[in-house]
Amino acid sequence: MYLAIREMRFAKVRYSLIAVIMLLVAFLVLFVTGLARGLAYDNAASIQNMDATHFMMEKDSNRRFTRSQLSGQVLVQAGSIAGLQNVQPLGVKMTTVTAEGTAGKLDVTLLGIRPEGWLMPKVTEGAAITSNGTGQVLADRKLKDSGIGLGTVLVDQASGLKWTVSGFVSDESFSHSPAVFLNERDWQRLQLGAMARPGAGGAGDGKTYNAIAVKANKHQAEQLAAAFPDTEIVTKSDAVSAIPGYKEEQGSLWMMIIFLFIISSFVLAVFFYVITIQKSSQFGILKAIGTRTAYLVRSVTLQVLLLSAGSLIVSVLLVQAIEAALPGGMPFQLKSSTLAYTSGAFIAMSLAGSLLSVWKVTKIDALDAIGRSAA
Amino acid sequence: MRHRLILDNITHTYEDGGTQRTVLDHLSLHVSEGEFVAVMGPSGSGKSTFLSIAGALLEPTSGAVLLDGESITGKEKKALPDMRLNKIGFIFQSANLIPYLKVEEQLMLVAKLGDMNKAKAKERIRELLHKLGLNHRKNAYPDKLSGGERQRVAIARALMNDPAVLLADEPTASLDASRGMDVVRMIAEEAKGRGKSAIMVTHDERVLPLCDRVFYLENGCLVEK
Repeated sequence: MYLAIREMRFAKVRYSLIAVIMLLVAFLVLFVTGLARGLAYDNAASIQNMDATHFMMEKDSNRRFTRSQLSGQVLVQAGSIAGLQNVQPLGVKMTTVTAEGTAGKLDVTLLGIRPEGWLMPKVTEGAAITSNGTGQVLADRKLKDSGIGLGTVLVDQASGLKWTVSGFVSDESFSHSPAVFLNERDWQRLQLGAMARPGAGGAGDGKTYNAIAVKANKHQAEQLAAAFPDTEIVTKSDAVSAIPGYKEEQGSLWMMIIFLFIISSFVLAVFFYVITIQKSSQFGILKAIGTRTAYLVRSVTLQVLLLSAGSLIVSVLLVQAIEAALPGGMPFQLKSSTLAYTSGAFIAMSLAGSLLSVWKVTKIDALDAIGRSAA
Repeated sequence: MRHRLILDNITHTYEDGGTQRTVLDHLSLHVSEGEFVAVMGPSGSGKSTFLSIAGALLEPTSGAVLLDGESITGKEKKALPDMRLNKIGFIFQSANLIPYLKVEEQLMLVAKLGDMNKAKAKERIRELLHKLGLNHRKNAYPDKLSGGERQRVAIARALMNDPAVLLADEPTASLDASRGMDVVRMIAEEAKGRGKSAIMVTHDERVLPLCDRVFYLENGCLVEK
């Protein structure tokens, strides 16, 4: 500790330069992570907000909500296995609407739910929808920016159906498009307009949904899978990754994050390796006067730790300042848990970068200190 | 009189391109308390090997090295740094101070490595710096010191843990004649005043009058002149 700190004090410029590089890399890591998390949430907020553990979808739908179709019968039977209160029907349809009286078109995702069930989002403004009424919907706050207000009438371009916005919800979206929630009755009217595909799990009562949200433990999920050979039980995270564009978007961001980690580890590795080689005669002297190798290794490791932790702290502050300054519509989300394990990974990668120098330090021979030694 | 350093029947050989080379051949040397010994010899005669073995940096092929009666051979590798730290004070050719430590800190480092009590260490540093006339330089970095000052700091560092044996590897090599004399005189005074055994490897014949005994390393053996 004694050596590490004094050396950094002495060679301020050298260590500040590397600290600045580390700071920039750490900042980028945190910023891209925040962006990736933000985009992930923004993409599939509605699904992620749902309290479900699994979703039942039609087989061969590739786990995509919009492709799957299930009948009301499946819902009833699933309820008898998992418990009635643990299943909720869900309709998902991406469409284009216009606000009545304006020409602008808006892409939204219609989500059909039971208003009294547990898929119902929290209403932040206006009135909630009920099961009995018709023509009332809840819209995501983001639609406000497009001139939608309470009482605005939305016209579905495909079916011509009209709905009145009765309230707003926040952070509800699907595949980056804002969500609009309808009750079951409106949902079924919409389905009648579009031709229901025959034979999708039997005609039953004529009701069709895209998926069934389930709260189930592992055992129940297996039971459900066995009971319905024509359906697939998909976990929530799998269902989220199957949303169009989700995996691709996250994949490229994750690649950037992983490369940044590797780069930071290499930058530190090279920097400390070069300094260690430069200082090998010094290490030789220190060993000759009786310094244990473990002491020198601790010294190098501590320097790496101080540099990476210091840069990390500054970059966390920077990222938080930037986050506060970002416009509200920017998808950026850095929860403290994400921040904690990203920071942990950064420090771990930095320490991995110091291994090469540590190895070099252990190899340096105290004999180097004495003139030119034989053998 | 007590012998603080005993080299007994030391042989050191190494492989060089398939042939066995014997650097030290049944070499024995006893250095007693307060005695200052000079070892001379041409380049390649094995002076550095001799010093490395005496300084617990290198294990001899055969023979025994005793520091204050304690053998360095047959010990665990990890014990050697501790032996060096507590029993040996090294003074190297070109001072070899740590560039980023101030004069005071060079000595404090040794105290820290040896787990010396802080108050005691401070007292000892003050005393050593005063004795070697470095008091006014205690907050200077090595690059601000003159060659002679640096070598004096190196002597202070070597004495910091009150070692049994002082080993100097051509301490005058980078100094002019009068500075060299000063430095060697200091080593001699410390050895005598504090009852240490001191060995100096040197090329410099001018400093020999300060030594109690002078040896020449010839054919792997020490010959007294």
